[in-house]
Amino acid sequence: MKVTVVRSGGFAGIRRRGEADSASDPMLARLVGRVDLGSVPPPGRIPDQFVYDIDIDGRRTTVGEAQLNGPLRELVHHVLGHAE
Amino acid sequence: MRCHIVPPHMLERIARNADDPALRARARRTLALTSAHATERRLAAPAAAPAPSGAAVPNRMIADAGHKERLPGTTARAEGAAATGDTSCDQAYDWLGATFEFYETAYGRNSIDGAGLKMISTVHYGERYDNAFWNGEQMVYGDGDGTIFTDFTGPLDVTGHELTHGVTQYTANLDYSGQSGALNESLSDVFGSLIKQMHLGQTADQADWLIGQGLLAPGVNGVALRSMKEPGTAYDDPQLGKDPQPADMSGYVRTYEDNGGVHINSGIPNRAFYLAAVAIGGHAWEKAGRVWYETLTGGSLASAVDFVGFAAATVQTATRLYGADSAETTAVADAWKGVGVSQ
Repeated sequence: MKVTVVRSGGFAGIRRRGEADSASDPMLARLVGRVDLGSVPPPGRIPDQFVYDIDIDGRRTTVGEAQLNGPLRELVHHVLGHAE
Repeated sequence: MRCHIVPPHMLERIARNADDPALRARARRTLALTSAHATERRLAAPAAAPAPSGAAVPNRMIADAGHKERLPGTTARAEGAAATGDTSCDQAYDWLGATFEFYETAYGRNSIDGAGLKMISTVHYGERYDNAFWNGEQMVYGDGDGTIFTDFTGPLDVTGHELTHGVTQYTANLDYSGQSGALNESLSDVFGSLIKQMHLGQTADQADWLIGQGLLAPGVNGVALRSMKEPGTAYDDPQLGKDPQPADMSGYVRTYEDNGGVHINSGIPNRAFYLAAVAIGGHAWEKAGRVWYETLTGGSLASAVDFVGFAAATVQTATRLYGADSAETTAVADAWKGVGVSQ
């Protein structure tokens, strides 16, 4: 599965985008299996916090930094580690 | 009156003996903001008496997150306590003082909420964390990664920016999304820059109008994170990309990221403020800043206001303060035309 993460916002307002494919990334495959995009709370509008847009094979969600924890947090940091 | 160049022994005498109660209170406040713990202790008795003029003193608290992401962290420095020796902690403390002094001196505002709210900052948040934010109750600062960003407590305008998010929350409470969100961001940049300008004693034509100058690590190709004077020119770097801010409405960016581009489109109202301030001249916080401040805090701004609505509100405020045909009102109206918000 193709996973894309875009980080936007933050005081600096600098965009970061990462992309990875679970077919060639066993660690990502394990993380994807543990993530439930349906259970993510809506992002709070907190000034200058990071906002993450996550796309897993066309399923999308937006997460605020304060709500980013557990396997989703690991997934985001894993994919942004491959940031362009 | 600003007392920075007055020696402490004279301030202490003014604080105790001046005939004018406002002068006494202001001297006490300046001492509290700028001088050593010992001086403050000597003044503890008179300061504890009811303040004769109501002039405000800050109440700061700096906490240390110890590189975790939990708030607020452990108390590192309370109001009036001696410097800790931790650069981030002491810098955050001093910049909260400068920001407090700006709002009190320029607009008679007592802290974030206008009623003496305790100002709380957490430093050393996260590991190599590249950000600073306002979480609705306090300011939070990362150390930066050291490669692209330095410590976020470094530049005064970062503290001014974050604390102003608090002021906005307690006043117009602008929705942090789309155009009202870009205005929320812009107001934080405007007052962040004005706080730095007052601290440096600069007039509008002397100021750099940069946001986050000093935050980019050596080797990064850029002067700051944003330029209010020339949005879109602050950096152009292989790692960071290019500053994406538009300078006028022709470059307005529609996006769902960043709460609808709040850190991008803020360049438009930022430049409008710059144009107004430079056209009016002098210390930018005195006239242009007052127009923006009274517009923000006046109680009639809708939380979902757009650029056109905010522009009209600033022209109304300028008209009320300086008259419809004044140079100030003309400068404000022309500034919004200059960025394509009004015709």
